[in-house]
Amino acid sequence: MADQNINPFSQEPTTKTTPERRQLSQSNHAVSRRLQKELMTLMMNAEKGVSAFPEGENLFKWIATIIGPDGTVYEGITFKLSLEFLNNYPYVPPIVKFTSPCFHPNVDLTGNICLDILKEKWSALYDVRTVLLSLQSLLAEPNNDSPLNQTAAELWPNQTEFKVHMEKFMADMRKQNS
Amino acid sequence: MVIASEAGPSKSGREKEGSPEEKDDRTFECNICLDTAKDAVVSMCGHLFCWPCLHQWLDTRPTRQVCPVCKAAISEDKVIPLYGRGSTKQEDPRNKVPPRPPGQRTEPENNGGFPGFGFGDGGFHMSFGIGAFPFGFVTSSFNFGDHHHQRPAHGAGRGMALLDEDPFVSKIFLWVAAIFIMWLFYA
Repeated sequence: MADQNINPFSQEPTTKTTPERRQLSQSNHAVSRRLQKELMTLMMNAEKGVSAFPEGENLFKWIATIIGPDGTVYEGITFKLSLEFLNNYPYVPPIVKFTSPCFHPNVDLTGNICLDILKEKWSALYDVRTVLLSLQSLLAEPNNDSPLNQTAAELWPNQTEFKVHMEKFMADMRKQNS
Repeated sequence: MVIASEAGPSKSGREKEGSPEEKDDRTFECNICLDTAKDAVVSMCGHLFCWPCLHQWLDTRPTRQVCPVCKAAISEDKVIPLYGRGSTKQEDPRNKVPPRPPGQRTEPENNGGFPGFGFGDGGFHMSFGIGAFPFGFVTSSFNFGDHHHQRPAHGAGRGMALLDEDPFVSKIFLWVAAIFIMWLFYA
């Protein structure tokens, strides 16, 4: 009963040799299918304050923007991010980075993000939209217990001082980049 | 009449927006690949996946097996396959993925009627009687093989054999009874 669905002719040796490459292309195909679907839904129902689009022809690299949530120090600021999808997406999270300077307790100076759902709490159900929305809410509510940017974490309780520091930081980064 | 009046507005509604059908399709989308679920399985928490998708998800994190949707604990042997009408025809090309776990099928409770050879539903005595039938048949066919053909209802079992009018058979039974009584006395 338990093995009624097992194909008695399943070729065990062949699975080790030839289909390696085929499987890779198949998974690539599955990933791009899923990414296309995500892009479709993102375009059909545009979310307020977040947007994302593939970078050029490559469907595995996207550029996204998040507008700083209202009522926070980031209000009105547009952040750019890069998303990189691996071949085994959505089983593993995409690599998400801020490409524009972001002074935030959970973002380091090079734009790396510390967010649980992008690491161990990742679920295959999450997509670009939910990741961007999570990041938007992370901007409003940082996790100051595990900071990547110690200074920002220490300054966070005092929002006016934080804002002053942030503006200086952003100006410095802009100078560096130009 | 009723059908016609109902079909009219619903059809035009669909043509206008196309959303109800779309919604219907999305109900059966796999939560991982976002496509219509192929080789569909449903978790105990009720979430639908393609079996290859869910298998790969469980495979990528052997230590933390949770439902991607609600994070409930799930495991391979606790998912239920969904067999739609046309689904068995589709062969999954991905040989590498092990087949879906089979559905668990339990017999319905059988109340009344002739229960066949099942035990426990027709009372103990009833089942025993039926159960003994093959043994009776075997003994009759082995021991009295030569008289076998003359008997009109040889398949009727042991009860019939006792009533057999054959003197040879009754003699043997008499002897057996005598030996048994003797043995009882000595023991």
